[in-house]
Amino acid sequence: MKKVIAGVLAVMMTAAAFAGCGASNTGSSATEAQSSGTASNGAVDASMFGEEDNIKLKVWGPDKSVDLLKQQCDAFIALYPEKKITIDVVAQGENDAGTQLLNDASTAADVFGIPSDQINKLVNAKVLQEVAFADDVKANNSQGCVEAATIDGTLYAYPETADNGYYLVYDKSVIKEGDEAKFETILEDCKTAGKKFIMSAGDGFYACMFTFTGGCKTDGLEADGATQKFTDYKEDEVIATMQAFSKLFHDYSGTFQSLEVSNISSGFASGTCGAGIDGTWDATANESALGDNYGAAKLPTINVNGEDKQIISMFGYKYIGVNAASKFPRTAQILANYLTGEECQTQRADKLGWGPSNTKVAESDTVKNSATITAILAQAENSVPQADLADQFWDPMGNLGNQLIAEKTDPSDAAYMKQLLKDTLSNIQDV
Amino acid sequence: MKYIDYKQLNPFQKFAYNFTNFFKKLPGRVAAFFKAIGRFFVRLFTGIGKGVANYVTRFIKGDWTVKLSYVVFGFGNMMKGQIIKGLLFLATEVAYIYFMISFGFVYLSKFGTLGTVETQQVKDGPFTKTVFGDNSMLILLYSVLTIVVTLVVFFIYIANTKSAYKLQQLKSEGKHIMNFKEEMKDFLDGKFHITMLSLPVLLIAIFTILPMIFMVLIAFTNYDKQHMPPGTLFTWVGLDNFASLVDITSGAKKGVTFLELTKWTVVWAIFATFTNYILGMIVALMINKKGIKLKSLWRTLFVITIAVPQFVSLLLMNQMLQTNGAINILLSELTGQEVAIQFLNSTPLMARVTVIIINCWVGIPYTILSASGVLMNIPADLYESARIDGAGPVKQFTKITLPYMLFVTGPALITQFVGNINNFNVIYLLTGGGPSTENFYQAGYTDILVTWLFKLTMNQQDYGLAAAIGILVFIVCATLSLITFNMSKSAKDEEAFS
Amino acid sequence: MIKSYKARRVIANTLIYIILAVLGIIWISPLVYMVLHSFRAEGLATVPYLIPREYSFQNYIDLFVNTGTLNFPRWYLNTFIVACCARVISTLSVLMVSYAFSRLRFKSRKKFINVGMILGMFPGFMTMIAIYYLLKAMGLSQTLVALVICYSAGAGLGFQISKGFFDTIPRALDEAATVDGATKNQIFWKIILPMSKPIIVYTILTSFIGPWTDFILCKLIMGDNRDNYTVAIGLQLMTSLEFKSDYFKQFLAGSVLVAVPITLLFLKLQNYYVEGVTAGGVKG
Repeated sequence: MKKVIAGVLAVMMTAAAFAGCGASNTGSSATEAQSSGTASNGAVDASMFGEEDNIKLKVWGPDKSVDLLKQQCDAFIALYPEKKITIDVVAQGENDAGTQLLNDASTAADVFGIPSDQINKLVNAKVLQEVAFADDVKANNSQGCVEAATIDGTLYAYPETADNGYYLVYDKSVIKEGDEAKFETILEDCKTAGKKFIMSAGDGFYACMFTFTGGCKTDGLEADGATQKFTDYKEDEVIATMQAFSKLFHDYSGTFQSLEVSNISSGFASGTCGAGIDGTWDATANESALGDNYGAAKLPTINVNGEDKQIISMFGYKYIGVNAASKFPRTAQILANYLTGEECQTQRADKLGWGPSNTKVAESDTVKNSATITAILAQAENSVPQADLADQFWDPMGNLGNQLIAEKTDPSDAAYMKQLLKDTLSNIQDV
Repeated sequence: MKYIDYKQLNPFQKFAYNFTNFFKKLPGRVAAFFKAIGRFFVRLFTGIGKGVANYVTRFIKGDWTVKLSYVVFGFGNMMKGQIIKGLLFLATEVAYIYFMISFGFVYLSKFGTLGTVETQQVKDGPFTKTVFGDNSMLILLYSVLTIVVTLVVFFIYIANTKSAYKLQQLKSEGKHIMNFKEEMKDFLDGKFHITMLSLPVLLIAIFTILPMIFMVLIAFTNYDKQHMPPGTLFTWVGLDNFASLVDITSGAKKGVTFLELTKWTVVWAIFATFTNYILGMIVALMINKKGIKLKSLWRTLFVITIAVPQFVSLLLMNQMLQTNGAINILLSELTGQEVAIQFLNSTPLMARVTVIIINCWVGIPYTILSASGVLMNIPADLYESARIDGAGPVKQFTKITLPYMLFVTGPALITQFVGNINNFNVIYLLTGGGPSTENFYQAGYTDILVTWLFKLTMNQQDYGLAAAIGILVFIVCATLSLITFNMSKSAKDEEAFS
Repeated sequence: MIKSYKARRVIANTLIYIILAVLGIIWISPLVYMVLHSFRAEGLATVPYLIPREYSFQNYIDLFVNTGTLNFPRWYLNTFIVACCARVISTLSVLMVSYAFSRLRFKSRKKFINVGMILGMFPGFMTMIAIYYLLKAMGLSQTLVALVICYSAGAGLGFQISKGFFDTIPRALDEAATVDGATKNQIFWKIILPMSKPIIVYTILTSFIGPWTDFILCKLIMGDNRDNYTVAIGLQLMTSLEFKSDYFKQFLAGSVLVAVPITLLFLKLQNYYVEGVTAGGVKG
């Protein structure tokens, strides 16, 4: 049945393509891409492949997604029976993918998963091919994730997920219903139950929330492509927020612990952890450790001088990129577009619990029934996209986090906080 | 002291004399080392001059076959009966010419610029096609390869002219000319060193020296993340990378980081070396003390830790040192209250001390091993004569055991010191360089120069800067080692036992 | 007087026993911790107590059964093969180089020794990318052969200790053999090598350990070819963010499996190691 539909679709689209442009030349084939563009399953007209045949592609995906990725690639091959396509799916962590691409693009995969913060580097080295189906992608995906992969007006990767961020995970038997909304009540509940609250406050990825929440956010890079831009902020407000965080950490020292995130799932399993700030990569571990008591929510608010402020976090997206050195650039683009289409994103949300970047999928029931995805998408709205970051962003931010929790730091010392903020920002900006 | 006086000393006194002498001569040897470097260059240049002169003389005095050998490799050998050797020379020439035409010349011609053709992205309908231009990194690497090959061929060429001329001389003197089989036999005897060294040297040349030259050259380029092959070109920038390292004016963070990390690297190397040495020695002395039983059990307890790969044991240590790690749990259980000491990421001092202590755990077993061996090897006649002189156990220890140990293992201290300057594992796996700070460029408080170098290359792709640091570290280490090696006994009395 | 001297010695020895026992416990306890927790049945990566509450072989079984994502047995075998091949080549080249430097006399021998000694001090990270492309040019990228070459290519530079050992063998032996008409080749194989058991064992031991511990160069060479990974990268992978929660106990089990053979080998050959390192080290 599926094949019949695909066949009919293909015939229809071929017709449309011929109607659109008789003799294909470079000028009009741009329209060809959009008009013949994508059905909901990402299928395109076979003529889009051009001369390419006997196609061999290598695809990289993180371990947990490899099985699904294989099924999806098989489905892709089935869409184009007239082409001979073989796809080799290889497990490769997303951070390693970027490193390996920079080391040797010619042996790297044609199509690969990467996190948003690597795009800049890869574009600089010109190993990332720009997106061919940019208009479709822009129409179907959330604005944040499109922006995070756009450099100088060009989109460089296909959005795959909008979930590379962190949120609150908690034990429902420890945190009372309604208490998960405020940082203060969460810590209080943990303390009462004699359990820990764990986050990795010395890691820049998490620590940036301490300045973001106060209004000091990043806003891409300056024109030189290296200096970090910060949004306009009220210094007093940022400092007051940093003080509020620091005060909480000191008031609840013992309950609050700054540890590497894998300690959260371990803590749930051994019953020592009440709540923590963790990401999707640990979702299954956390869920199986807590069972029915598993709770997930967007990050809480923090009380700054009587006002409850929503915590703003760093939020990353994951993309599927196309290798500029690919021998089959057209097929690679079509495959990448297919893999990030609505159908594939739904399957990913369904089977892996990954948060979709596709706006339609984000509103589906699958997503609404998952506490984790709901939490992460809610947090996405209170976040700064993780893109265009200077390389020296993480260390100074991590250091700021370390200073806020350090025993010797006095939370009421506004002058110290001011200096700390100033040093941190200048260290991110100066090389 | 005259030799005759020295001979009359008893072994104990001889030893004391040698021991003090070792340290008296130290400054002189350092000076001698630098003089030796100067002499090396003088000899190098006179050597080259002589070589050129000989080369010309051979050409003038040689017959026509020798003269033709200057163009056709091995011609002289072939004409005088050494067919196989001559053919081998000729084959080298042919292979080299083929290599240069098909491979070497392409890269070498771009060596001056490191490439000029930029990578282009061409629109192909909605698609983009990337047409890769020059790859600066490969141009540099393969140019180095070509240069090394050329040098080797050059030496073969010179050997060829020498061989041709020597044959002419032998013939005119009416002496026997060795055939191929005889020459091959000579490789098992007279020229055995060539047989023994050629394979290891070849491997070292390809996988150590060649990459090293490549790296040294990188230090003079702007290879960093803004200039990343294959997409973008990098080029020569002279001494810019070195300049940014020594620039310590306020705001120049690379220079400040380099200075601070150098200081800490030296402190670290000193502490790491001496704590291991002294403590290891004490434990070894305790284990080997007369009357202590179960010697091999005690030694095994320590030595077992060597067998566990360092990345495993150090990762585990890192885990155990966390605020919720085993050590804090243990302290909590012992004291009865909750202890959560931040060993690795609170203050720089705490982290640095922790690193040095953990390094003892890693390093002491090695000292125990070598010290045990040395203790067993102290000549019995030393003790004998001491006893005759009426020395008690304490005196024997302070006057014989201790100085002997220090004397024998002392030179190895420098090797260990150099090893600690380059001790990547302990720092990287234990702290990752933390605690972090806003004062350094891409480094934390416990980072030493090599771990910083690693971060710069792996995370920041800052190859040029990293290579410059690498060179500076290398110069320091190499100088230290050469001085001690040439000063120590082994270089002087290689044949003492013969 | 004698009595008090004896008493003093007893006290001193007891004190030493106590110190040794305490130190021994400190040294061995991380390893005991590793072994105990590799059998831990409950909890995930960490638990808030020292001694596990339940024991099982599950972590070990998982290592060998769940090979879909992380194929530990395959990596173990790879490492073993690479280590065996590398050690043959390394041992040979170390012995050849040190014999040449110690027993043979030839032009610029001293220069070779000096250069050889300092070459090994160059920080290697930068050269890795060059090595990668050289191996690629030879058509060896992502193969085990490449690893064998990498681990044994530089071995010749570690000649100091065995050169020191060869230096201690009396030269009169060589001279006597030469008088009897032996070539240098025969002297090496028939006279020197049979006398050099400690140093051979020492070299074999040190070169065998290398492949089990390197996780940086090997990763660069292997890239995405997981079939050719070695245990070191495998274990490193298990502690990465993506795997740590689920795989940390298996990491411990895997570590034990790596440590056991090396430990056994080490204990068995310990005396040779000591002999080798001291004989060579005293002079070197």
